[in-house]
Amino acid sequence: MRSLLLRSASAALCLAASAYSASAQDADTIKIGVVAAESGAFVSAGHTLPAGVGLAVKEINDAGGVKIGDKTYKIELLKRDDRTDIATAIAATQELVRDDKVAAIFGSESHDFTLAMAKITQPAKVIHFAGNSTLAKVLNPQSVAPGGEDHYLFQSEPQEFQRSGSTARGVLSLLTPLVGHPLKKSVVIVGNDATGQFLTSYYVKALKAEGQEVPEVIAYPPDTTDFSPFLTRAKSLNPDVVHFWYNGDSTLTALPQALELGVAPSYFLFGVDPGIWKERGLSADVPVAMSCVPICWGESSNANAKTYFSNYFAAGAPKGVTSSVSLLYYDYVHFLADAWEKAGTLDPDATVAALESMHHKGVVSDDLSFNASHQVTHATEVCAAAPGGAITCAMQQPPAEAPN
Amino acid sequence: MIMKSSSSPLASLLPALAVLVVLALVPALGPSNRILSLAISAGINIVALYGLAVLFGQTGILSMGHAALVGVGAYTAAILARDLGIGFWVALPLGSLLAAAVAAIVGVPSLRVSGHHFVIMTFAFGQLLSIVLTNGGAFTGAATGLDLQLPVTWFGRPAGDLVPYYFIVIAFVAISAVASWLIINSSYGRTLRAIRENEKLAASLGINVGRHKIGAFVVSGLFAGVSGVLLAYFFRHISPNQFSAFPSIYLALMVMIGGARLLLGPIAGGILVSFLPEMLNLDPVESRILYGICLIAVILLLPNGLIAGLFDGLRALGRRLVGSAPRPNVPTDGTSETA
Repeated sequence: MRSLLLRSASAALCLAASAYSASAQDADTIKIGVVAAESGAFVSAGHTLPAGVGLAVKEINDAGGVKIGDKTYKIELLKRDDRTDIATAIAATQELVRDDKVAAIFGSESHDFTLAMAKITQPAKVIHFAGNSTLAKVLNPQSVAPGGEDHYLFQSEPQEFQRSGSTARGVLSLLTPLVGHPLKKSVVIVGNDATGQFLTSYYVKALKAEGQEVPEVIAYPPDTTDFSPFLTRAKSLNPDVVHFWYNGDSTLTALPQALELGVAPSYFLFGVDPGIWKERGLSADVPVAMSCVPICWGESSNANAKTYFSNYFAAGAPKGVTSSVSLLYYDYVHFLADAWEKAGTLDPDATVAALESMHHKGVVSDDLSFNASHQVTHATEVCAAAPGGAITCAMQQPPAEAPN
Repeated sequence: MIMKSSSSPLASLLPALAVLVVLALVPALGPSNRILSLAISAGINIVALYGLAVLFGQTGILSMGHAALVGVGAYTAAILARDLGIGFWVALPLGSLLAAAVAAIVGVPSLRVSGHHFVIMTFAFGQLLSIVLTNGGAFTGAATGLDLQLPVTWFGRPAGDLVPYYFIVIAFVAISAVASWLIINSSYGRTLRAIRENEKLAASLGINVGRHKIGAFVVSGLFAGVSGVLLAYFFRHISPNQFSAFPSIYLALMVMIGGARLLLGPIAGGILVSFLPEMLNLDPVESRILYGICLIAVILLLPNGLIAGLFDGLRALGRRLVGSAPRPNVPTDGTSETA
């Protein structure tokens, strides 16, 4: 009987100790979530989100964690695959917000998923970072003000006029010397989906602001594999440059067909990294420009990015067309950790106030900050492959103001 | 010859209602919000599936553009909320009626053809609507879509939590099941089945086949419209992609796997297709392979769907256990009599 009592007491003590330890573990951990397509149609960009956020979390935890007041917290990352399905993205967000009580959410890569997710994160006061320039549709000084419906939502990609502006300028400045004569006429070929429509309107304005004549924007249905009807139309317009403005995977299907048809004396591939160009052994008998979102991993001119991508790939992330998209998230995990430390609390309102007032030294920029609409500004890297194969890259600063 | 079944019409409704009572008790078990959210999405699909079941199961017409009719309901709700401040409960009948009206407009030319030609026409309609929504400018929010700001009110209070919305969706699934049962067991339902079994014979009996087929398509539009309004108020952001070809194919898949002729079929199909990837942790490619295999298996082995096949199996097992002679042909389409 005595032995039974002793065993029971020991078991009770063990249970109590485990319970205490578990609650202490919870108390010393900040949970953050990432929702992204780790499978399905958007996996190419989607898998870069957990990889970038995960690398930042590891770096923060390895450096000791986040010091808030006199207490140090480790960050626990909860990854959720949305399977490129909006119902799953919403279910994952509900789980992270209501069950896991995360302090912040990163994602998703798809603009309409993000907008639906924000309907869950914002009323729950969860800090939400997303690298979708389409967020400009809902972010403005009123909506992000205290009490506004998107007070806790942050756009970690520059405004589209900035990205389009720096890309157009970079493409034309790199291609002109390679083509050997001034470039006057551009034709844009774009995927006719939500992102394509949104981006194109800005890019065409940016090209016109650089003095380009843009006689036509040719839209192709998503998932097109035979581009010949669209390319034949483009060729008939005698362009100096054909811009494949979205998306990277379709672009790589379209370019060989364009080269075969001899559509233009130069091309631009949006969202294709020169690293992929080299790894796949691609070549062209005319100059081809490429742009990355936001900095290239293949031939970057940015020293910070070289270190980042070396760590990123060393952590096991695959080299992909859109690996650079991870940079739209990586910097903001560090930025958020700094904001918590500055605020001295995990309180979401104090954290937002800190994020709004801070300047952060990141990989994409030495001076990252959010404007009055919770949007960042930074440069975009553009590269060009000469017919001989040599690749040159340059960081292009965005225009100060949107073109009329 | 009309053969009377020994079971009453109510007997075909009771299993569905019993399952819905069990599903209504799910929140009491404290499920995670992820499961609850997926269950709401599945329930919204099931409402649309009941409409598709009337069309496919009773009339024998398969639509591959049903998600587009769901989209009509969803966009009606979002536009009414944005432009006129009209909320959930008023949007429900309006969305439903507009989806039915669109079904009628599409149905008139489409139902002049039949069989796979109609399938192609509905598929084309789905694609066309997606293009119209994508290029609809500010009115439809173009490709970016529309936000829905108004809350759903539940007994005068905002239903911000998932549980109240789950009950609302379950209630609409129950209403849809009862409505389907009423249609199936009405003379209208018998007329539709006569058309399904033999169009020419039905016409020779004086049935206006074309009008009734359009009518069935309109009825399926009513269900789809309700489903669309429920979806818009759940997702709070809608875009054309959600109502394009793939969602339509998925709806057709759900109704074929679950079975279109029994009232439990749409419930089984909706739950299976929504939860199978979750339970087996399948990625979208694996899921599609599995659905394809399921579909082939159902077509070859269980032509009336999983639930009808299950009932047939149970019945055969029961006969074997009691050693009795086979009973007369009992209908597997939720009716109390069969031709």
